[in-house]
Amino acid sequence: MPSSQSPSIAGTALDPTSVRPPVADAEIVRVAPAEVRETLVRLKAEGCSMLLDVGAVDYLEREPRFDVVYHLLALPAVAASVAQIGTPRRVRVLAGVPGNATALPSVADLWPNADWAEREIFDLFGITFEGHPDLRRIQMPEDWQGYPLRKDYPLRGPAREATPRPAFALKSNVPAGTPPAGRVAAALQKQRERGPADDVVRDTGTGEKSST
Amino acid sequence: MKAPAAIPPPMGVDVVETTGNTMTLSLGPQHPSTHGVLQVVVEVSGETIERAEMEIGYLHTGIEKSAENLFWTQAQTVIERMDYLNPVGNALCYVLAAEQLLGVTERIPPRAQAIRVLMTELTRISSHCVWLGTHGIDLGAISAFWYIFDIRENVLDLVELAGGARMHPNYLRIGGVNGDVPEGYLAKLDELIAKFPQRMREMRSLLQNNPIWRDRTIDVGVVTPEDAIRWSLTGPALRASGIAYDVRKAFPYCGYDTYDFDVPVRTEGDAYARFLVRLDEMDQAMRIISQVRKRLDTPGPIMIDDPKIAPPAKETIALSMEALIHHFKLVSEGFRVPPGDVYQAIESPRGELAYYLVSNGNNRPYRVRTRPPSMYNLQALKQMAIGNLIADVVVMIGSLDPVFGEVDR
Amino acid sequence: MEMMPGEFLLGKLDDVARWAQSSSVWPLTMGLACCAIEMMSVQAPQYDIARLGSEVFRASPRQADLMIVSGRVAQKMGPIIKRLYDQMADPKWVISMGACASSGGVFDNYAIIQGVDTIVPVDVYVPGCPPTPDGLLYAITLIQQQIRQGGRGGILARA
Repeated sequence: MPSSQSPSIAGTALDPTSVRPPVADAEIVRVAPAEVRETLVRLKAEGCSMLLDVGAVDYLEREPRFDVVYHLLALPAVAASVAQIGTPRRVRVLAGVPGNATALPSVADLWPNADWAEREIFDLFGITFEGHPDLRRIQMPEDWQGYPLRKDYPLRGPAREATPRPAFALKSNVPAGTPPAGRVAAALQKQRERGPADDVVRDTGTGEKSST
Repeated sequence: MKAPAAIPPPMGVDVVETTGNTMTLSLGPQHPSTHGVLQVVVEVSGETIERAEMEIGYLHTGIEKSAENLFWTQAQTVIERMDYLNPVGNALCYVLAAEQLLGVTERIPPRAQAIRVLMTELTRISSHCVWLGTHGIDLGAISAFWYIFDIRENVLDLVELAGGARMHPNYLRIGGVNGDVPEGYLAKLDELIAKFPQRMREMRSLLQNNPIWRDRTIDVGVVTPEDAIRWSLTGPALRASGIAYDVRKAFPYCGYDTYDFDVPVRTEGDAYARFLVRLDEMDQAMRIISQVRKRLDTPGPIMIDDPKIAPPAKETIALSMEALIHHFKLVSEGFRVPPGDVYQAIESPRGELAYYLVSNGNNRPYRVRTRPPSMYNLQALKQMAIGNLIADVVVMIGSLDPVFGEVDR
Repeated sequence: MEMMPGEFLLGKLDDVARWAQSSSVWPLTMGLACCAIEMMSVQAPQYDIARLGSEVFRASPRQADLMIVSGRVAQKMGPIIKRLYDQMADPKWVISMGACASSGGVFDNYAIIQGVDTIVPVDVYVPGCPPTPDGLLYAITLIQQQIRQGGRGGILARA
């Protein structure tokens, strides 16, 4: 049974980022939206030269609702060997963006690869980035309504969510409920005339199965 | 499909003065050499590109949203289909991240880790085979495609024998792997290890010193180390510019720090350097596979012995009540992962593939944010294309090796 | 019913034409996702689609008569597939390769069109995720059977 049809078990953490598992994967820095730019500028000056990724998470039941997460890596900008690179520093900057004020300053001028990442966050979460040169949808068509990766957006999209899901997902060009026609109807008719086969176990309705 | 009315200026790129006499051309999304569904909108003056902008999203699958609605083990099936040339790698990154949140990374049996490394390196070889074959076709070297895909079939045979399918074997599990390698597998692996050097020599002889190939790839798409960092290139594209960052060496996982292998690096930063780096990587992958082969001689468990995560052996379900109950719970509800967030990275054939995995204590992943290496590698094309010919764009896309399942997800 | 000599000759010509059509089905490179890689394997020497007549895969729809939709069809890609199908000249056939192209596959969500047959008429569906190259070869032989039995494909064959 597809798991999307069974009810999900209630989660136990409204804010998973406040629960630190014993995992040392990066330095964690949590900032308010107003401090994001200066923190990133400072970290870049300290040597976190590469912006690996910008992503967003929707914590529907938490205030602030969204987290925009920047992953940074400190790599030298010159040719360097494996030994010289060693274990580079990783930093994770989390900015809590409230649901009623979904805007952040763009960092596309600091790191040009933030361009598409911020467009994707705008497309899928609806968070705008001020100062972005070309903020438009990137994954969904230009005229798509809604922000798909938000938790209140249905999985199958609003259009399909309204239609009932067929019990047996048989794909056919014929709409469900169409009576059979042509050769199929003739074969069914012949079968009805022939009667059931000899070795079929028949339920006589008296509570005991019989087979003749 | 239509070119946008005005191409906005690309960010972070030195904009050249346009000659004013330009034509806007759209390559793709249906195009033989865009390696998938990519639309490159170029403003050309003659054959020389003055500005290039890309439209992606033609393969957006909503994998991250699908994964949020599936159990932890089920989510792996959709996540494997992101970078479809490296399915085992996607699965590996995901299970490693989930194991970090569960806190069981230390308890994964060594044989399972060894099999994971084996599958990942076999997949790396097969992915580089596809890259080289298609890169060759783009440039007209069609014979290379035939030879290289034959090698790929040999590698896929081994993946299929252990995992059950050629692509998307869904062989890894949170806690280990799904079943040991079958009988006779190690003998077949020995055969591949024995004949691989000869096949690599064939592959190199086809292209490496071919004057046409060198003419078309040397000094094309040069990326300086500063630009590589600015555009967040990772993987062979970064290592061809001189920066030897390999996640397997910098942040080892699955016991990679116990294997002996080199990280190929070049300094020229052009398409030819990226080509050579990937060929060397195939050799290094086979070197790792030979070392794994020796470790597979010692038998051992291939799944963590934690009944809350690992399903019980089929034979015990009919005999033991606990096994039956655990099996029922795992199949109907899945297990729960403690709340928290983690950023787990691996070295995929394209670069640093990472998942930022968030769990809120539920039996489904709360958020699987992917750091797709191809998406970041591809953005550099905006700068690389300027001043080059349209034919060079094809070379550059091929040398960056994007996979659109990952770019668009 | 007696056949006039003229009809006999035309009947024979028809067979020859269908034999020629079925022996040289040239696919369009409509590789979208993972199934496209298996489609590449079909072109590779181990499975070799060229021995069935598909010597070349044409990138231009004007020059192809079989569209193999190999991969998941995203919302943005749907109109493009329709446009490419329209650009192909009659007679044309469509193979829907893989679970995603046939019905949406594992991706029952907002982003994937649940079956390419909602956009273009499909002649053969190939199940699998991805189907093995053998599956695609079997689909090509089914198309060849359809051609030889008289299904001319395209708009004319669909009432």
